[in-house]
Amino acid sequence: MTAVRPYFEFAKVAFSREATYRFEVFTSIGSLLVRVYLFRMVWTALYFHNAGIRELTLAEAITYSTVALLMSLVMDIDQTRLLVSKLDDGSIAMDFMKPISVPLYFFSDGTGEVSFHALLIVPSLILALFIVHIQVPDPIVLCVFFLSFFLGYLVGLLMNFCLNCIAFWTLEIQAMQLIVTWITDLLGGEVIPLVFFPPLVQGFIYFLPFAAMYSTPVLIYVGVIGPDEYLRALLLQAVWIVVFGIGAVLMWRFGSRRVVVQGG
Amino acid sequence: MSTLAIWADVYKQYWRINFLTALEYRANFLVWFAFTFIYHATALAALYIVLREFPVMNGWSFSEMAFLYSLWMLAHALNNTLFLTVGDVPEHVRDGEIDRVFVRPLNPLFQILTTPQQIFPDELILAILLFILATIWAKPIIDVWFVIFMPLVVIGGALIDFAINLLIATCAFWFVKVDGLRWVAFQLEQEFTRYPISIYTKGVRLVLTFLLPYAFMNYYPATFFLDKTENALHLAPQVGLLSPLVGVACFCVAYAFWRVGLNHYEGVGH
Amino acid sequence: MPIIETHRLRKVFRSVERQPGVGGALRSLFSRQYVDKVAVEDVNLTMETGELVGYIGPNGAGKSTTIKMLTGILVPTSGDIRVAGIVPYQKRKENARNIGVVFGQRSQLYWDLPLRESFELLRAIYAVPRPKYEANMAFFSEILDLDEFMTTPVRQLSLGQRMRGDFAAAMLHDPPIVYLDEPTIGLDVVAKEAIRTFIAKVNEERGTTVILTTHDLADVERLCNRIVLIDDGRIVYDGALERLRMEYGTHRTLVVTLADTCEDLSFPHTELVEQEANVVHLKFDRRKITAEHLLRLVTERCTISDVSIVEPEMEDIIRRIYLEGYRTQAPTPAS
Repeated sequence: MTAVRPYFEFAKVAFSREATYRFEVFTSIGSLLVRVYLFRMVWTALYFHNAGIRELTLAEAITYSTVALLMSLVMDIDQTRLLVSKLDDGSIAMDFMKPISVPLYFFSDGTGEVSFHALLIVPSLILALFIVHIQVPDPIVLCVFFLSFFLGYLVGLLMNFCLNCIAFWTLEIQAMQLIVTWITDLLGGEVIPLVFFPPLVQGFIYFLPFAAMYSTPVLIYVGVIGPDEYLRALLLQAVWIVVFGIGAVLMWRFGSRRVVVQGG
Repeated sequence: MSTLAIWADVYKQYWRINFLTALEYRANFLVWFAFTFIYHATALAALYIVLREFPVMNGWSFSEMAFLYSLWMLAHALNNTLFLTVGDVPEHVRDGEIDRVFVRPLNPLFQILTTPQQIFPDELILAILLFILATIWAKPIIDVWFVIFMPLVVIGGALIDFAINLLIATCAFWFVKVDGLRWVAFQLEQEFTRYPISIYTKGVRLVLTFLLPYAFMNYYPATFFLDKTENALHLAPQVGLLSPLVGVACFCVAYAFWRVGLNHYEGVGH
Repeated sequence: MPIIETHRLRKVFRSVERQPGVGGALRSLFSRQYVDKVAVEDVNLTMETGELVGYIGPNGAGKSTTIKMLTGILVPTSGDIRVAGIVPYQKRKENARNIGVVFGQRSQLYWDLPLRESFELLRAIYAVPRPKYEANMAFFSEILDLDEFMTTPVRQLSLGQRMRGDFAAAMLHDPPIVYLDEPTIGLDVVAKEAIRTFIAKVNEERGTTVILTTHDLADVERLCNRIVLIDDGRIVYDGALERLRMEYGTHRTLVVTLADTCEDLSFPHTELVEQEANVVHLKFDRRKITAEHLLRLVTERCTISDVSIVEPEMEDIIRRIYLEGYRTQAPTPAS
């Protein structure tokens, strides 16, 4: 138990730290609500003017966007950015001298931060219900959704960690990170449900890690991915977790060696 | 030397240093250009994908939406080229560097706008390219009005963008940290200029026209140039030509607030 | 006419008093309590053209507040202030033309580009005519030795080089007044001396009025014949350095090299502060005993091979004033 204790403390510290940014809390909930409204209006206009049968009904589309937005409260956070800032100011050298696992330290910090933001989902959801109507699936589907959400979260966490590790080689990773963020939003189905993408593209998009982050969980929620496809979908997410997990281990090993060898 | 001559000289030096620095940090510049490109490309791709599936949006086709987007992109890119440095004000207030504007014999805002920052008009060039494409595609009426007013509309749009950024930056004199505010404002700008505002409820349309006039950045001018029969508030179509005036008015309001902020800072220090 | 004049200058900062706890936070939503801090009180300063004044005081004494008011960054709460005939906060731009500022800890040079580029931009900002600019650049390049790194990007310069660049940048437009805030901070001994030489030279040859704010008293001793000491917002001393030393430097140190071991090194009004091998430092209160008398006592008791007198350390004087406050103490003649 004592071995885990310090990491628990790191998470607690990160949690409290996030709680002090009152203004940020208001703006993130506020901007989420604005976007929920916006998506509702956009979908309504689109469906109103374009008759036809589609993969998603209007109600499902609105539900999709709202759920995806609520997920983004947690998914959008770059949890391991502590790595980059510590490399930037050199304080990572100090961390290597402590009797803790440095990557676990970063993960704990990120977990604490995310936990706080996860709490914000509740008030955001309640307020969002004033703006839109969300469909609620059966309890079993909901459970699978939460599982898939968790897996998607892990994919995102590990992928971002791998990206942050690039900072071991060059600190100028901001632009690259932004590029990945935008691509993730588009190809991950956060902005537009992947079901609406041109059929040719849909073929391979589902196999990209981005889809594993947003699209898979939300499509499960909305029911587009049916029970017979659950196993396949979750396994695909698991594959990406393994891929990025290995990537993370490798990048950390090579990257941290660089710090130790070259100094601060 | 007259003030104008001094300003011109400083501006010339400022751009010289911008270019030299961009060249110096070539790799960095290329990466950021890649980001700019991808940012706009994904936005347009998203629009395309949506409109492929839903061809009609309140009477706007994809080519018209592309035109709408390119108008916004032009104004935004122009703002980023000329007025981007205003975003550094909160940081300068935090580290005390803002004091320097008081100690030099030039208008403080002008000084901030001419602080070298590695700026390059790459986004603006992209925007112009897109605009040409969109114009060919959407076929707005190209007449005297178009030729005279298009540049003015773009400048007006850039001024609206600038004014809002300036307002937020001025808040730093009181709150120091304005990142959250800036993020929200940018999200609002992004999202609400993407689509014709006619899809929103009346209240929102009023806000976007009279309070946060993002609609004047691209929507109203687009309805005029594309000869749309009606716009969101059933105003006369020429209202789109008011963009430059709206831009100037917004700037005046923002500048007045900036002066208030400066005076406040001089009174209380930090 | 004095180039700098302040009369009863006063600056009060008002801040919100934070109430502790959740109850306090809620309460402060409805009624706010303010706390007034007087940063500067009744400051009367007069400086003539060409003076080189050291402006010193403990941290938080009001030094930077005063300088900010003089440079037009801050508006006084009350009192008169005139720099080169201009009220700084009213005519900020005109005032700016008359002053140059060096912030020791922050550079006004542009980080990414060669030094020369920064100068070009500043030339444009201050609208310095080309011939004057070239002449000044030649002058500063020579005495600051800038040529060797003129084309190096500023971020690659050493602190000493950067500081020299900052000096040239501050004086490019020939300001009659220059404010130097911690100009030698962090510099090595050689660089410090170079900067001090430059300051002295500019003051002598160009008649530039210099106000030097520093914690390094060696700067002050080397450069200033007048110091102004501010403590707790009030001017505590304003006058010649020598007089301060005379009035407050109550102790001098007799450094004696003993030729032979000496048993008893205790003398009246004297403290043995240091002994290294056969070199002895005897600190004595010169109000109670003269150097000559002490020396006589020492030689009566011991055989010495060398002797010297060390004047009171500026550091000690200032430290005592910071701790004890300033009182005029005329040295009483020793018996």
